[in-house]
Amino acid sequence: MSDVDNEELFERAGAALRESSASDERAREALVRAIRAEARRRRTPPRGAMSPWWMALAAAAVAFAAGLGIGRATGRQFVAATSLASDSAQRHVEFVFVAPAARNVSLVGDFNGWDATATPMRRTDGRATWSVSIPLAAGRHVYSFVVDGNDWVTDPQAPLSPEQWFGQRNSVVVVPVGDRRS
Amino acid sequence: MTDEALVARAVEGDVDAYAALAERYYSSCARMARRMLRNDADAEDVVQETFLRAFRAIGRFEKGREFRVWLFTILVNQCRTAATSRKRRQLRFSDDEAALAGAADQRPIAVVEEKSAVAAAVDSLEPLLREAFVLKYVEGLEYTEMATITGAGISALKMRVKRACDALRPKLEAIYHE
Repeated sequence: MSDVDNEELFERAGAALRESSASDERAREALVRAIRAEARRRRTPPRGAMSPWWMALAAAAVAFAAGLGIGRATGRQFVAATSLASDSAQRHVEFVFVAPAARNVSLVGDFNGWDATATPMRRTDGRATWSVSIPLAAGRHVYSFVVDGNDWVTDPQAPLSPEQWFGQRNSVVVVPVGDRRS
Repeated sequence: MTDEALVARAVEGDVDAYAALAERYYSSCARMARRMLRNDADAEDVVQETFLRAFRAIGRFEKGREFRVWLFTILVNQCRTAATSRKRRQLRFSDDEAALAGAADQRPIAVVEEKSAVAAAVDSLEPLLREAFVLKYVEGLEYTEMATITGAGISALKMRVKRACDALRPKLEAIYHE
C-alpha cells in the first residue's frame, strides 16, 4: 500500500472518530450550567456584606522567608513595592488567614491557576489560624482565600487589585526583588 | 464571533462569551477525552473540569495565543492525571460502556460498527501513541500545536504518530477492506 493510501486510511479513521456522540448535547448544557454556577460563586459580595463570622476575625499577614529568617510585612509595604519589576528569582511567601470556624481553607491565585485544590492551607496557632508557605517569583501576584470550598475571600490586610475578574477583585502581594528583610 | 473576540470578552468577565467558547469546543474536547480515558463518564468529568479550570484562569490568557491550543493543553494534562488515578476503574467498565453506547445508537449498523471498530483499534494503542494519533488525525492539529499541548518535541511526536500508524495499519485495513 502506498503512502497516499496509508494517509487516506488514517484520515478516514480520524473522520470516523470525529462524529459527535449522542450524549454531547446534554453534557454541553450541563457544562454551561456549571460555568454559570462557578461565575456566581466567584462573585464575592461587597466586603461589608460578607459572612461576618470569619471576616470579623480574619487577619492575614504575609511573610517573606529571605535567606536566614522569616519576617512579616504589612499590606502597606506591598503597596509600596508594586513598582518593582519581576524577575525569575523565587522567594518563599507565607500566607496566613484567621478563620477558626472554617472546615478548610485554600489559597488560590494567578500562581496556581486559581485552582482551589492546588494549595490547601494548614491549621496552625491553636487551630484558629490557617497558613501555607509557597515559593513565588519576584513581582506582583493576585490571590484570594477559598473558605470551605465555596466562599472566595479577599485578604483583609492586603490591598485589592484594581482589575476585576468575573466581577470580583482580588488581593495583591508583591514579592520584592533582592530584598533581604528579616 | 471569532475566538479572539470571545476570549477578549471573557477576560473582561463576560460569562456568556466564555459559555459560547465552551459550546464551540465541547465536542472536540469530549472526543479527545473519550479516546484518552476510554470511558464516557470519566471523559465527561474531565472535560467539565478542564473548562472550569480554564474559566478560572482566563484572566491570565496571553493575547495572541490560540484559545483551542491553550484549552487542549489543560485538557491533555487533566486526561493524563485522570488516566493515572482512575486506571483500575476505567479498565473494568470501559468495555461495558462501549457496548451500551453502541446498543443505544440509532444510526445504520455499518456506520456504528465502523466507528466502534476504529475506536477499539485506536483504544488499543499505548497512551502516548494514542494521544499523538488523536491530536493529529482526529483533531487535525499541526505538529507545532501538538508540541505546545503535549510538552513533547516535534520529532518525538512524529515518531509517536508513525508508531501509532504502524500499529493501526493492519487493524484499519481489516476494518475497511474486509
